[in-house]
Amino acid sequence: MATGEQRIESFGHVSRTVGTVFRYLLLAATLFGIVALTILLIYVANDAIQPLTADPGWHLTFFLTLVSPTLLVGGYLLRTDPASFRFGASVVGMLAVSTMFAGGAAMIFVDIVPPVVWFSYVLALALALVGVVGIERLDRQVPFLARFAAAGAVVLLAFGVVPDFVQSLPVYPTDGVMLTLALGGPMALVVGRYAAAEAGRRGSALAVLVGVVAVGTGAVLGPLLEIGAVPATVLLSIAVVPTAGYAVGAVRRRSARRSGLALTGTILGGALVGALTVDALGFAGPQSWVDWGFLTNAHSGTAANAGLYPAIGGSILLMVTVAVLSFPLGVGAAVYLEEYAPDNRFTRFIDVNISNLAGVPSVVYGLLGLGVFVTYLGQPTGTVLIGGATLALLILPIVIISAREALRSVPDSMRQASYGMGATRWQTIKNVVLPRAFPGILTGTILALGRAIGETAPLIMIGAPNVLFSLPTELSSKVSAMPLQVYAWASLFASEPFYQAAVPAGVVVLLIVLLSMNSVAIVLRNKYQNQQ
Amino acid sequence: MSTDDLHRDLTRRTENAPQELLTRSFFFLCAVLSIVTTVSIIVMLTTEAAKFFTVTAPLMGVEGPTASVVDFLTGTEWIINNEQFGVLPLVSATLAITIGSAVVALPLGVATAIYLSEYASRRAQRVLKPALEVLAGVPTVVYGFFAVVYITPALRSIVPGLGTFNMLSASIVVGIMIIPMVASISEDAMSAVPDSLRQAGYGMGATKFDVSVGIVVPASLSGIFSSFILALSRAIGETMAVTVAAGSQANLINPLNPAAYLEGALPMTAAMVNLLTGDVTGGGIAYRSLFAIGLTLFVITLVMNVISDFVAQRYREEY
Repeated sequence: MATGEQRIESFGHVSRTVGTVFRYLLLAATLFGIVALTILLIYVANDAIQPLTADPGWHLTFFLTLVSPTLLVGGYLLRTDPASFRFGASVVGMLAVSTMFAGGAAMIFVDIVPPVVWFSYVLALALALVGVVGIERLDRQVPFLARFAAAGAVVLLAFGVVPDFVQSLPVYPTDGVMLTLALGGPMALVVGRYAAAEAGRRGSALAVLVGVVAVGTGAVLGPLLEIGAVPATVLLSIAVVPTAGYAVGAVRRRSARRSGLALTGTILGGALVGALTVDALGFAGPQSWVDWGFLTNAHSGTAANAGLYPAIGGSILLMVTVAVLSFPLGVGAAVYLEEYAPDNRFTRFIDVNISNLAGVPSVVYGLLGLGVFVTYLGQPTGTVLIGGATLALLILPIVIISAREALRSVPDSMRQASYGMGATRWQTIKNVVLPRAFPGILTGTILALGRAIGETAPLIMIGAPNVLFSLPTELSSKVSAMPLQVYAWASLFASEPFYQAAVPAGVVVLLIVLLSMNSVAIVLRNKYQNQQ
Repeated sequence: MSTDDLHRDLTRRTENAPQELLTRSFFFLCAVLSIVTTVSIIVMLTTEAAKFFTVTAPLMGVEGPTASVVDFLTGTEWIINNEQFGVLPLVSATLAITIGSAVVALPLGVATAIYLSEYASRRAQRVLKPALEVLAGVPTVVYGFFAVVYITPALRSIVPGLGTFNMLSASIVVGIMIIPMVASISEDAMSAVPDSLRQAGYGMGATKFDVSVGIVVPASLSGIFSSFILALSRAIGETMAVTVAAGSQANLINPLNPAAYLEGALPMTAAMVNLLTGDVTGGGIAYRSLFAIGLTLFVITLVMNVISDFVAQRYREEY
């Protein structure tokens, strides 16, 4: 002290009350939105599924066969071996999500794209790939442009001739065989590639063979079990074979996790035993509005008969269109901005422009679609193509921004190493940057697609019909979508029965699809972050 | 391989090889597409809106009924069948939604950001952040349904005079929807505050509360403010939730009067959707009024985005 006479006895008392109160207020604020949404979700799920209408015996059976064994096994695993628990749970989750996607895919093969058309295009793609790879293997003395032109000609030829030729054949194999080859085959190849890292060439070949045989067995057994060859094949190729491949691969890699499969077995077995017991004892399940009829019927004037089928199909087609349009364009723009763009005014302008586009309201994008595609280009209103194009423009800024983040996270030393090996810029991007950034790009794209699947306003703007009774079958047919159908029920058919039955059921289906897409993205992101 | 070949291989310039040129131009075109999008939004909105106004319609070669700019901007009646296009009732409803959702979202969003950046453990962050993202990921039409079917009846026990369609529950759901936006952008700004500032605060004997409120929040004020503007611009452009929940009566309301929130009104975005779900024939004056509102909406949100960008850049504290 300056005077040297006053002595500080203490710093006084600091109350902890303010800090503690502040901390819990913050926590409460953080949880407010989450808790509010959870309550709303419970309400809507209760309205849609009505679990309380089931027999007590039904609840008891499932409690005994499914819930309590799962809790026991899960609790034990969680205490002794959390890694195995996560593995077992992730296998169940993967099976559930992929089964859902398989349902959507089966819908496409049953009603929109006949297996023979799919088969012919996959055949054309395979031939084109073989041709292009053959040309690439040619002597380097042949100039690039000549090789490029030849490759383009091969692709055009393959797609111009092969599909028509195959479809015009008087006899072709059964649907099951074609799908086994054209859908099960590629999936088995993917599984085989995954296996190759672990089990070498022979293991990989074995995995492919087992996969194709499993799908083929499904094609044979499907009709016998009254599922139909097409759904059985699709289910096996999209859900069962990849999940099994993942499970087997993971167990081989870390055999200690084998115990996690006990959890998977308990859940699947419990569900099966429960369903059989309930059926045998005649206990009635809940009178859920989300039932088979709701998923497979079209709209109806009475709420109890109304269904979501055309809207689900429309959403799937829109999703495919949006993904095909926005993924290459968005990643392309991100690659330009991150890897090529010089730091000048023009680049900064594009930069600012993209972040502004991300803030433009979706209804304005709808007006853009209406004005440009319908009025200027003279397209018919409300088709799959212009709906998909409008939504693609809407999510493009989001895809670009997230792809740029993924590209930025690739360390510069990897690029420099590639340049040091004499690689050109494009070779560096193709072989080093993109593979490394791919999981991040994929995560961002899935999240953006989730945004697109929930959008309603742009579809209304471009004149998509509120009520559609049949599935859209091509790019130029009118399209509805799940959120649009929910909106139509909630506003145009606003009445008690619709508010109590059709709308909650539609909301639940829409949210399940969205949440599973989001969870796939989040799981991918966590995996990717852990690797780095 | 002769040495000549080797020499040529090693020294050839790959910068403008055909393959490189081809890929680079493809990527460039992808990037330019974003500018094309912006330009076509602006051109399309202005030309179509120009056909709506009396002043500009002759320039566009449009005959038929038009509306005067003054009537559009100052008119207090929005009755399509009478061809009365006054945008003020729609703007007042949009403003009400914006204010209402701001009251919900801004305090909660900032509090969430402070909690996530200063208090939450890494584990809690890993759970809370994805959960908050879900709030923004739920489709807006679903929020509208929640507002009408669950929130309004629940609120009616507290506020007796609440209409079936009202601004109160619409504002609440829009507010919940934009919390994650406020929270994530503000949290980014708070995380960017260097730790040395916090340590200096603790060194002075400050408590965690003092450090959070007295150091971190002021240091990240520009980020917080820019998150406010962005979130409000999102609330202004929000469409389906207000279409379902706010009703379809174009009343001129006073957004600052709490009693106004008990009734329904028609925000701009909802008016656009109603125009198209009603019997609007292409090319009529009602159809063109759509683009006039669209232009108004686009200009408002664009200006807000630019301001937010400006604030974030200009007033950022550099450490």
